[in-house]
Amino acid sequence: MADQIKKENAEEKPRIGVFVCDCGSNIAGHLDCESVAEYASTLPGVVFTKENLYTCSESGIAEIQQSIKEHHLTRVVVASCSPRTHQPLFAGSCAQAGLNPYLFEMVNIRDQCSWVHMGQRENATEKAKNLVRMGVAKSVTLEPQKEIESSLIRKVLVIGGGMAGLSAADAFAAMGIEVILVEKSGALGGLLRKINRLANGEAAIDVISNLIEKVESRSNISVYTGSEVKSIGGYIGNFNMTVSTGDKNIEESAGCVVVATGALPWVPEGLYGYNGEGVITQIELEDRLKTGALNASQIVMIQCAGARTNNREFCSRICCMTAVKNALIIKEYKPDSEIHILYRDMQMYGTEKEKMLWDARGKGIRFHVFDKDKPPDVKNGKVHFFQPLLGETREIPCDLVVLSTPLLPNENARNLARTFRVPVDQNGFFLEAHAKLRPLDFAADGIFLCGSARYPATTAEARSQGIGVASRAAGILFKEKLVTSAIVAGIRDDTCVGCMICLNACPYQAISFNEISNVCEVNVILCKGCGNCAAACPSHSARLKGFMQKQVLAQIRAF
Amino acid sequence: MNKDILIIGAGIAGIQASLDLAEMGFMVHLVEQLPSIGGKMAQLDKTFPTNDCAI
Amino acid sequence: MLDAGRHPNIDLMAYSEVESMEGESGAFEIRICRKARFVNEDQCTGCGTCAEKCPIQVSDSFNMGQGTRSAIYSWFAQGIPSTHTIDAKYCRQLNGKKCGICQKVCQADAIDFNQKDKIVNLTVGAVIVAAGYDIFDPSRIPEYRYRDQPNVITSMEFERLLSAGGPTAGHLNRPSDRTVIEEIAVLEKKAKKSEKMLGKYEEKYKMVSERFYRAFQSGEHGDEKDSVKWADKYKAYLEIKSKREALKTRAERFSTAKNLAFIQCVGSRDFRFYQFCSGYCCMHSIKEAIIAHEHEPETRSVIFGMDIRAVGKGFEEYKIRGGNHSNISYHRGRVAEIRGGPDNHPVVIYEDTISQTVKKEAFDMVILATACAPGKSLKKLASVLDAELDEFGFLKTNHLQPVDTTREGIFVCGCAQSPMDIPESVSQASSAASRAVQVLMTYRKVS
Repeated sequence: MADQIKKENAEEKPRIGVFVCDCGSNIAGHLDCESVAEYASTLPGVVFTKENLYTCSESGIAEIQQSIKEHHLTRVVVASCSPRTHQPLFAGSCAQAGLNPYLFEMVNIRDQCSWVHMGQRENATEKAKNLVRMGVAKSVTLEPQKEIESSLIRKVLVIGGGMAGLSAADAFAAMGIEVILVEKSGALGGLLRKINRLANGEAAIDVISNLIEKVESRSNISVYTGSEVKSIGGYIGNFNMTVSTGDKNIEESAGCVVVATGALPWVPEGLYGYNGEGVITQIELEDRLKTGALNASQIVMIQCAGARTNNREFCSRICCMTAVKNALIIKEYKPDSEIHILYRDMQMYGTEKEKMLWDARGKGIRFHVFDKDKPPDVKNGKVHFFQPLLGETREIPCDLVVLSTPLLPNENARNLARTFRVPVDQNGFFLEAHAKLRPLDFAADGIFLCGSARYPATTAEARSQGIGVASRAAGILFKEKLVTSAIVAGIRDDTCVGCMICLNACPYQAISFNEISNVCEVNVILCKGCGNCAAACPSHSARLKGFMQKQVLAQIRAF
Repeated sequence: MNKDILIIGAGIAGIQASLDLAEMGFMVHLVEQLPSIGGKMAQLDKTFPTNDCAI
Repeated sequence: MLDAGRHPNIDLMAYSEVESMEGESGAFEIRICRKARFVNEDQCTGCGTCAEKCPIQVSDSFNMGQGTRSAIYSWFAQGIPSTHTIDAKYCRQLNGKKCGICQKVCQADAIDFNQKDKIVNLTVGAVIVAAGYDIFDPSRIPEYRYRDQPNVITSMEFERLLSAGGPTAGHLNRPSDRTVIEEIAVLEKKAKKSEKMLGKYEEKYKMVSERFYRAFQSGEHGDEKDSVKWADKYKAYLEIKSKREALKTRAERFSTAKNLAFIQCVGSRDFRFYQFCSGYCCMHSIKEAIIAHEHEPETRSVIFGMDIRAVGKGFEEYKIRGGNHSNISYHRGRVAEIRGGPDNHPVVIYEDTISQTVKKEAFDMVILATACAPGKSLKKLASVLDAELDEFGFLKTNHLQPVDTTREGIFVCGCAQSPMDIPESVSQASSAASRAVQVLMTYRKVS
């Protein structure tokens, strides 16, 4: 009984601990952290304050945890950087020390204060104090929450049966995870089917056929060729989808989804006199090499054909390697052929590719640099280009011009992106969660990407990413159950009038309209806690945990 | 059969591999020569193309 | 990084090395040496008091030798584990001299001078090598004068200068200027010391040194012992002062570096050293030039490279943005030589291919984009693990099994496999993790 009362008292009068981070000099260099910490200690409810050089360092975390225990803190406020990167760490550390992680509040005095008010030390310090006061006021109103648990299906949907998709499917299967592999075209293999030989000399068809055979022999992979995913619903751990095989629709379910839809070489209609005969693309050259139909002996290859231009800025990464590879192959069986490669920068990054470039030079393949603003001119069996090294225009007679065109995202990538509610970048490639640190994840949970659907990739890169994506998804699928954040929206059914404004406001399609009770409902697994619905709801029925009206108002009123 | 995995080097690659394996439920032993983990990336100020903080 | 330090499934062994390995895929017996830190990891709170009080200062390798750290140190402020470490090479106590200050000031009682290297034996099913790379030592290229020219630095040194946590707190102070500032500080200290000394004479003889010295010079004070000494001290003081003033006048003209040259392929694409392309350096230089411009909008950068290889997602766009908004110009070609110039301004000698002339241009600082050299320790590690290296010195793989080494059950990712940038390292790391699990799952099925 006494304990109970003590606990309730603690609830009535929160004991708040405030930690002010210097972030090295990122914060302390532009505002007075010491005075911010001193000020925080005067705020109502604050029983402990500490300034750290780096609150996120192991010692900083240990201090938070120690003071939770020593000073019986019931709220923790950290004034530091962005909750985007560090909220999970601090909240998780509070939980380890026995404090409900939802009783943690973060104040951003770096991105929104020290960084934007450099050189205004006094004002920045004042603003930091304001922000801390608001954060402390909000923390008083926080309530403990419980994380949401849900079940999951130990099965994965892989879309695309090229090198990346096949590698992913094979890796999943080897890890004991059941795979549904959906390929739009009639056969597995993707772009490699159209390639003659790989850079190491192996026939591409042999390589891909071996992999297809391996995938098809796996008992835990179901392959659907000539098929498309028509629709998808559900969420991480519990996706359900309709796969159309042309003549029938099949209902499937999976815990995770991998997008490996690849890319296609651009067809340069109207560029450099492209006609598919005397002026062709690299992929058409591959076909001629494969069938032995190449009869040219004076060849000019033009790089960046339709890439790195003003309206298509990106570099397609693999075309320089493709050109050098094909030039070497031609030289190999026709040593007296004359090959010129016109380039802007030879993108032969890494060990093997740079070696290929040296080999090509050694074998007499000629490389000429040209300027973006002075592209070559292809006319009457001759290529003219301005040679900046000599300061003059040169003319190369030739019987074949090969254009190295960029790989572009699959035409229906945008449709697929809409179906799966995942983003694409300005070039139409799928957009990963983080360019550096999460290259194989989408921001949406449970959906992953690999291969040229993300960005043009070599065979080895696509293979590596395909294998890697299996590890990312298995991190979810190997778990017993899913645990997701409690910061989600809820809609009061007694005040909701069923206007459905929130339905459109929700970017995650987490809200649905219940036709029986005539109110809107939130799927808490799909909800990401963005708060759009709470802002849009005219009757204040939609509310976001951790950002309830009283909490936000407490924060605002403290200003 | 032992289900533990040894990772040698705790730069960005070693750390990422460790986290993936740990998330999948495997026990990871992460060995680093230097006094702290982080590798070369910890020495970087910011990273391109997003100019995010490297740590 | 912190996640790795906190994950319950990750057993972190920093400051440790693999000594030997036996057995085979599925059951490797590993012997690991945990080097003595002379600090108890469980007790150290990382407060840093010991480092503050330590009397020994050595060059700071985290900051690429720019600036100093104590003999007891943490690798870097946010380091994990945050445990401090005593550098046995420099510690006075460990080298038989009297000290032990750190032990006295440590409130957590974490210092243990008797700590010994510890051997840990492990059995693991699979091994992933992520041992990274070495930074090429540009002093091997005589014509770039990295050793002689203080303001010719490597991109990693430049990185530390840009960093708020670095030796200059993010200001682009030139190394030569920093040396002068440091000299001034030393002279200040010396001047203070001799002022104190002179003060004693002044008090004893109730006379200011200046007056005494004038009198001494005119022969008034003869050659009494004290007089000669006093005069000598005062003379030395005047010398220190004039030297200090001269340096101060010089230092008044110092400003942060605003005119930067970045030299690409330093050690890469060079048959004398490494024939391969290190892949990430072009983007690294562009990034550094953009950040330098963010720090100081008047900054101008020239990037000298044979090709600018911006091949990753968003990289070409980033490069163009750098040119348009960060005052970066890209110059095609390999720099022939870097020479010394007035005021420590390195002079870059290069061929301007457009005008077909050899040009010279002085810069405030020159940054060398050093090659991704195969790690020296990688060779030793490869022999311990019995895995082959490729012709470039990295761990050998097959392009269809990009993370499998030649030894079954041993995988590789990141720059131990070949030079690569961060996103590639990250996706390869996942790939290696995936392969390792596949190996373990195969064995699980059998057993």
